[in-house]
Amino acid sequence: MSAGVTGSESTITATGLQSHSLPAAVRRREAIVAYALLSPAIILFLVFIAGPLVGAIVLSFYEWDLLTDAQFVGLDNYRKLFHDSSALAAVRNTFVFAFWSLITHVGGGLLLALMVQRSIPGVLKYVFRTAIFFPVIMSWASVSLIWLFILDPNFGFINYYLEQLGIPTKSWLLMPDTALPAIIIVDWWKTIGFTFIILLAGLQGVPEHLHEAAKIDGAGSTRRFRDITLPMLSPTLFFTAILTFIGAFQIFEPMYIMTKGGPLDSTVSIVMKIYMTGFQRFEMGYASAMAIGVFVVIMLVTLVQMWVGKYWVFYD
Amino acid sequence: MATTGFDEQRIIDEPVTTPATVKAARKGGNWLLNLAMILISILMFIPFYWVLVTAFVPPLEAFGKPPDWTPTNLTFDNVQRVFDAMPFWRQFFNSVKVSLLVTVGSVTTSTMAAYAFARLQFPGRDVLFVVFLAALMVPGQVTVIPTFILMRNLGLMNTHEALWIPGLISVFGIFLLRQFFLRTPRDLEEAARLDGAGYMRVMFQIALPLAAPAISALAVLNFQAAWNDFFAPNLFLTTPDMFTLPVGLVSLRAMFGGTPTTIFAGITMVLIPVLIVFLLAQRRLTESIALTGIRG
Repeated sequence: MSAGVTGSESTITATGLQSHSLPAAVRRREAIVAYALLSPAIILFLVFIAGPLVGAIVLSFYEWDLLTDAQFVGLDNYRKLFHDSSALAAVRNTFVFAFWSLITHVGGGLLLALMVQRSIPGVLKYVFRTAIFFPVIMSWASVSLIWLFILDPNFGFINYYLEQLGIPTKSWLLMPDTALPAIIIVDWWKTIGFTFIILLAGLQGVPEHLHEAAKIDGAGSTRRFRDITLPMLSPTLFFTAILTFIGAFQIFEPMYIMTKGGPLDSTVSIVMKIYMTGFQRFEMGYASAMAIGVFVVIMLVTLVQMWVGKYWVFYD
Repeated sequence: MATTGFDEQRIIDEPVTTPATVKAARKGGNWLLNLAMILISILMFIPFYWVLVTAFVPPLEAFGKPPDWTPTNLTFDNVQRVFDAMPFWRQFFNSVKVSLLVTVGSVTTSTMAAYAFARLQFPGRDVLFVVFLAALMVPGQVTVIPTFILMRNLGLMNTHEALWIPGLISVFGIFLLRQFFLRTPRDLEEAARLDGAGYMRVMFQIALPLAAPAISALAVLNFQAAWNDFFAPNLFLTTPDMFTLPVGLVSLRAMFGGTPTTIFAGITMVLIPVLIVFLLAQRRLTESIALTGIRG
């Protein structure tokens, strides 16, 4: 923003009014109005975001069960994390989940978006978009319950058709080796529409004239995809990758509702572990230490995103 | 789209003719892709269809092998069982109440703050904004533990206040609306200021109507998030008469009478209004998501 005002006589410029040279009384009035408008947000921010954040950091150095007095234990909660096999399982599960979620969302989302971004009948486009996007607006509660039954050997239809195809079946959610993959699939079904919509918007932003020019130069569709679509779409791809990772890193509901973290801790996610530690066993300090760990990971990922975005994303 | 100004562009568009065989091959490929799209649509939709149909099948006839995709003996008994097993309308009302309070409240506080950040000059503005921006990185799991302790100490466990009061602030909403205000020209507002209109009048009569698309997008997204929320209601609410619908549905599973067909009927009763709203507002909703990048 540049100052475009001469003296106290205001002039209007493209960038707008600058109050640096406005009379002090006017400036003070503007500040009062601003703080009045901001006050609800500031108060709520202090009480429900900044305060709790500080509280969680402080709590992470204490041992507290809500009933007896809190005990200062220094870094013990953090040390404990590295020796707690079920917490480590949660970390491993969450990273495995986030990794596969990222791959299948970005890859699958791109394929689905490319399918729509052609000249196709309008009805097909509408049905396809609706079918893919509808699960996004369903609640995790409904989705988890539905898939709990779909995957159930007695009630569900999946096993019946797999058997018809000669594929060995089992109780997917009750086996340690298949429970997490099953939840990865359910999560894909539930959230792929989100990735799809964002990538579709990104594809629509790739200027058509680039494709036309390349076509005239004799570039085939594979070549155009590699040399035009992918580079132009890279900021969007990166953005969806980050969002998918952050979302996956905080996964909770499907595990909580479908498997309760079992069997044998094979589907305990970090957030689920925080929930069990804090709100079922009331180890507030230990749960806070884990939550701070989640915070640090998400902060690092976001900072990487901002840093990369600065050099990668171009605005035109 | 950049216009180069070359007239040749128009001319060379036409002469590029594709050989008939290539055209036919491409058409065949398109046809296969269209078929794949139909198959994917069906696969994505099957879970929902299954629930919808099974909700109206008598319990003893449901879940047969092979699955019956077009049952003829339909009944509303399962719906009645939902009403018997859970206080459905009570929980529906709870969901509406909490979601509306969160939506109206958070959109209001976000709009006010965003307007101040985007349009007004005041000491500490940039520092304050960076602090708010940094809060975008704080996940809910971090703040929920101290918030839980706070609500417990205030005696607000098993109340809706524990849900909607913390929901009154949306840092993301502030960020989103500020961006929107910054992108819209301020000429009109400045003209009104010069004509002697006060800050409030300029905000309400000029800036807000212009920002209506962004504000309504934020409202839709916030409402949907509050309506679907499971974590907080599950944590703070303990009795069925206080539950919101997602918690009520899940608790149905552990309840006497919570047979699979009853649960399916419950899911259907929750989903049908969502589906109707979705079909009416799909464009708006998908646009909001593409615009904001909020993950459902």
